Amino acid sequence: ETNKLYCTSVKCCIFELKAELNSDKKEKKKEAVKKVIASMTVGKDVSALFPDVVNCMQTDNLELKKLVYLYLMNYAKSQPDMAIMAVNTFVKDCEDPNPLIRALAVRTMGCIRVDKITEYLCEPLRKCLKDEDPYVRKTAAVCVAKLHDINAQLVEDQGFLDTLKDLISDSNPMVVANAVAALSEISESHPNCNLLDLNPQSINKLLTALNECTEWGQIFILDCLANYTPRDDRESQSICERVTPRLSHANSAVVLSAVKVLMKFMEMLPKDLDYYGTLLKKLAPPLVTLLSAEPELQYVALRNINLIVQKRPEILKHEMKVFFVKYNDPIYVKLEKLDIMIRLASQANIAQVLAELKEYATEVDVDFVRKAVRAIGRCAIKVEQSAERCVSTLLDLIQTKVNYVVQEAIVVIKDIFRKYPNKYESVIATLCENLDSLDEPEARAAMIWIVGEYAERIDNADELLESFLEGFHDESTQVTTQQNTQVLHKHTQNTPDSDNPDLRDRGYIYWRLLSTDPVAAKEVVLAEKPLISEETDLIEPTLLEELICHIGSLASVYHKPPNAFVEGSRGVQHKRLPARTASGESAESPDAGQSVGGVSDAPPAVIPSQGDLLGDLLNLDLAPPSASVPVVPASMQMGVDLLGGGLDSLIAVGLAGGTGGMPAGLGGTPAMGGGLGDLFDLGGGVGMATGSYVPPKAVWLPAMKAKGLEISGTFARRGGGIHMDLSLTNNAMSIMTDFAIQFNRNSFGLAPAGPLQVLTPLAQNQTIDVSLPLNTNGPIMKMEPLNNLQVAVKNNIDVFYFSCQYPISLLFVEDGKMDRQVFLATWKDIPSENETQYQIKDFHLNSDAASTKLQGSNVFTVAKRTVDAQDLLYQSIKLTNGIWALAELRIQSITPNYMTRLRTRASLSLSASLWVQFAMLYDCGFLEGLDHFVVFP
Amino acid sequence: MISQVFILSSQGDHLIYKDCILMHYSQENSLDLYLKLVGITILLSVQCPQRNKNLNFIHVRHSGLYWVVSTKDNPSPFTIIEFLNRLAALTKDYCGSLSEKSVRMNFALIYELLDEMVDYGYIQTTSTDILKNFIQTEAVTSKPFSLFDLSNVGLFGAETQQSKVAPSAAASRPIVASHGEQVRKNEIFVDVVERLSVVIGSNGVLMKADVEGEIRVKCYLPTCSEMRIGLNEEFSIGKSQLRGYGAAVRVDECSFHQAVKLDEFDTYRILKVCPSQGEQTLMQYQLSDELPCAPPFRLFPTVEKDYGSRLLIFLKLRCDLPPKRYLTFVGISQTVARALLLFSLSQELSSPEQSAELQPRSKAVLWTIPRFPGGAQLSAVFKVEVPRLSSASLLEVGPISMSFELPKYTCTGLQVRFLRLSPTQPGLSQRWVRYVTHSDSYTIRI
Repeated sequence: ETNKLYCTSVKCCIFELKAELNSDKKEKKKEAVKKVIASMTVGKDVSALFPDVVNCMQTDNLELKKLVYLYLMNYAKSQPDMAIMAVNTFVKDCEDPNPLIRALAVRTMGCIRVDKITEYLCEPLRKCLKDEDPYVRKTAAVCVAKLHDINAQLVEDQGFLDTLKDLISDSNPMVVANAVAALSEISESHPNCNLLDLNPQSINKLLTALNECTEWGQIFILDCLANYTPRDDRESQSICERVTPRLSHANSAVVLSAVKVLMKFMEMLPKDLDYYGTLLKKLAPPLVTLLSAEPELQYVALRNINLIVQKRPEILKHEMKVFFVKYNDPIYVKLEKLDIMIRLASQANIAQVLAELKEYATEVDVDFVRKAVRAIGRCAIKVEQSAERCVSTLLDLIQTKVNYVVQEAIVVIKDIFRKYPNKYESVIATLCENLDSLDEPEARAAMIWIVGEYAERIDNADELLESFLEGFHDESTQVTTQQNTQVLHKHTQNTPDSDNPDLRDRGYIYWRLLSTDPVAAKEVVLAEKPLISEETDLIEPTLLEELICHIGSLASVYHKPPNAFVEGSRGVQHKRLPARTASGESAESPDAGQSVGGVSDAPPAVIPSQGDLLGDLLNLDLAPPSASVPVVPASMQMGVDLLGGGLDSLIAVGLAGGTGGMPAGLGGTPAMGGGLGDLFDLGGGVGMATGSYVPPKAVWLPAMKAKGLEISGTFARRGGGIHMDLSLTNNAMSIMTDFAIQFNRNSFGLAPAGPLQVLTPLAQNQTIDVSLPLNTNGPIMKMEPLNNLQVAVKNNIDVFYFSCQYPISLLFVEDGKMDRQVFLATWKDIPSENETQYQIKDFHLNSDAASTKLQGSNVFTVAKRTVDAQDLLYQSIKLTNGIWALAELRIQSITPNYMTRLRTRASLSLSASLWVQFAMLYDCGFLEGLDHFVVFP
Repeated sequence: MISQVFILSSQGDHLIYKDCILMHYSQENSLDLYLKLVGITILLSVQCPQRNKNLNFIHVRHSGLYWVVSTKDNPSPFTIIEFLNRLAALTKDYCGSLSEKSVRMNFALIYELLDEMVDYGYIQTTSTDILKNFIQTEAVTSKPFSLFDLSNVGLFGAETQQSKVAPSAAASRPIVASHGEQVRKNEIFVDVVERLSVVIGSNGVLMKADVEGEIRVKCYLPTCSEMRIGLNEEFSIGKSQLRGYGAAVRVDECSFHQAVKLDEFDTYRILKVCPSQGEQTLMQYQLSDELPCAPPFRLFPTVEKDYGSRLLIFLKLRCDLPPKRYLTFVGISQTVARALLLFSLSQELSSPEQSAELQPRSKAVLWTIPRFPGGAQLSAVFKVEVPRLSSASLLEVGPISMSFELPKYTCTGLQVRFLRLSPTQPGLSQRWVRYVTHSDSYTIRI
């Protein structure tokens, strides 16, 4: 009979139910309300029964009352007027002698989100907060949080927050736990009002309540403790000591909350302290225990362990075995375990790990097998001593001829070759046997790379490469790019005829390169590759720190900060690990824990993920090695060139070429500058104080060279557009008319966006100022120097040619501010070979002024931090062609010297030829996915 | 914290739906939409949390039902999974058994439970001792509990057939007796359950052996001031500790339910607890690497390439347990080849009650042995036709994995010496102690 509660037809139900609800018999009423709720559960609309159900509310039967309340909670919002009818009963129930009914009433009232009801709620709530029964008090405490969500102002006005704070000292631990939970929730939406007011006294109270609470209450309290920053290492240690017993709790949520507190407070303990070592040892067993739970729990535990292993690998370094994959683990658990295994791999356990990985490679699940094969490669790269064994394991796997195993193995062998060049080429023969079975782009690309790279050791390399060329049209970009590079590698000249413009252009570049300058070409394609660096997929340190503060939460499973997936204001506050403070010098500043931005130790370099292979290889092919650190003194006659052309070496070369190559009359004028230093504009006389840097006008075309026409000019960036500001002076004896202007192809595709507007004829000795808007959609050709612009001006007399140079800052676009996280990730992602450093001497701006000035020219300060009396400014620049350049500006307050480190994805170096640089620029633009991709002639 | 709680049938129908913070997302908007997108069966194979439309879903599966929580902010998934497990356990305790039917019949009771367990998304309590003060609704059981259900349970300590090991019907009834019931059975069940995972290398060397165990109590006693469970006196924790001169029973790591009092544990190995009604896990423990006994099985596999495209697999299996012991439900599966599409199997098994079949999905041969007495030795020959068999295919023959159940046996040797209730319960009070070892993952590499 009870099964009939799930009635199928709605209409018949409503009528029948209405009759039953109004029945005199209590049992019948109860059954009717049950049916109503059953319909509600399956999603039927039974709101029409609202008045009838409310009528059942006044009853002394607790079971029936509870059912009615359940219904009310669901429908009160859609029926606010009806809900008012129930208010009297609510208020009456709040005075009931039975504490169960009092609590039920206050709990339900808080759930009814109707404004009118909240007015009536205040008085009952106030009474219930001071009720003699702890069950009522704990319910009332949660009710304050509910009310706050509906009407925050009301809660503050009524003084409920203070009452709530008092409840933290309540004698009943359940009340304390709910009060803590409610206060934490409220303070999350008001980050500034410091509701919880954590101080040593209140912390002590919480720690005492911790021992008496239910397991769920312990979680609230531990999470609250984690937000506290102890004053010094002694306090930190004493809290740790009192939290440690929670690690053996059977509830994994309690354990993880305790781990979070410990991981955070450990940060403050000196590492040489005995207790620090003890604590590390205590953390391992509870984490290992989590792995014997059911798969759902195992997965979330593994995601957390992954973070912990990255932060403190020493905790689990002896526990490798527990991460070995079980045959019946679900695939998602297997993949996570594999990841942790690689992180824990070291010389001590590598043999064991490799034996396991080899077994995994024979399993059935394709994804898992692939990842296992990759893992072998990662071990080789991580533990150098194991490389040889890894390679032989991979060869064994290739022998199985299982298609995807072979392909995966070739991809990782390529990485091993990059890490250990010229060491394992004996295996190439085996690889070449498997050419035919390669059908995945990544594997083909890897194979082409290997063949090209070791061409001189492979007798039939030409044939092999040609065999790849047969399928040229069908290949994915990744493969063809690789082919191009490698075909060139062999100096096999080819003119590709592909539909992919990126590729075609790349081909053209190389082709032109080869036809014009074989030496340069060799330099480009055969440039020494940077070594592949340490492992891998590490989480960026700042993010890792934040995630450690969120251990045990969803953030720690997604490996994303909470604000990346939580809507609204909650969780926006970034959490940071506390900085270590010795007990003597206690930190007063509340944000002491937050000032450290991240890069505490030099973060391990990261190899790009596999998906980034393309970009990686392109850079590899083109990146010339080494970075030099020229010391560029402030050039006083330039007045402003403080960064010494220090945007990067690219520009520096451009500058050097520019000043050197100019006729004496023109060279050395400020307009020829163009380094970042100009932007500081210390001279102050020229340009706008806050706006973009504008060099003073310089004579570009002397009158004697142009039959009386003198042109001087400058470049400016205004309102997001580029302008060429010209002054035309007629020194000739006749009137000049019919002006027109054209640019030669140039490095950044600058072109006039409109005609040269000289409307009236230019009379004798007259000067006219014209502003010519420019765009960057013009044809592109590498110029020497890079920022050189060749201009042709025509008038009724003749055509005149001159060249001028624009400050590179002209090309810095307004949306060049990189997101902080992206910046840090990118900074690390760019290999240090791509870094150039400059020292700037005698510089007298403080960091804020420098930052403001630079921002005027679209050099954006992404982050600033202060370390050892040095201000570090992290800055990003985006060029019109989409290339990003990242800079670190180190300003010492004692000496007036600046140090800049500049990184771009394109590897820029003084030693490489400009051709190389241009090719790189070009590749970069291509990689960044430019809208207006430039087509090479 | 928790935004919504769902209990779904195996088809994805809502059995229970509670909106904890009244988000007034229509149900259509959240879980249903998500399930429409992925299909209910996906819940079997994906990890949680899953994210969809600003909601995070966390689910567990018990008795064919899906227990799902959605949440908007950044709570602890551990809290939620633990909560869902407790919810399932409590539902079972209160409704007697856990099935779609029992949940449907007791939805009012479950709503009431949920109301007391979660307030505004905050978990309040999951303890039956506290909850029983608040719960008004009586459980509805599909058939009234009858004494006959007890008939298949042997007396404490006596040897009986396997049914004694499987949770008996006696342990699946509501913890709160309904008013109609005349006799209240005062029973308490203590189960020692161990899960064994073993990896044996291709050279026959034991590479890894782990035991995860727990002591579970299911209590039907309405009042019980204290229960004392005595474990082996030689029981020791950690590597350094060695106790007594007898065969040591050692575990690496041990954790206890917070209600367990340990003041007599150090000296006498006695767990003291006032059990709440319902099911609880009193103690969990792990042992890795050093098993006190040999693993229960030895398997001697030979894989050969027969003439033509036939793969010959010869398995000899020996049970190293004492002859009085036996294993039930032994299933042995072996991946034969990954690439194969079509193949046929012929077999020679040593007794007719065994069976063997090919499982095309996992590409494995499954050999089932219903009962395997200690000291016995069984063998089987499988001939598998594999098209395009090459010598490399031999490398593809994967590991052998076994699943089995070993009643009345613990690998660690952990025993319950005594089970005392104080004060002595008046009238009928029955105490049951049961032991079982399951295979968690028992793999033999080739």
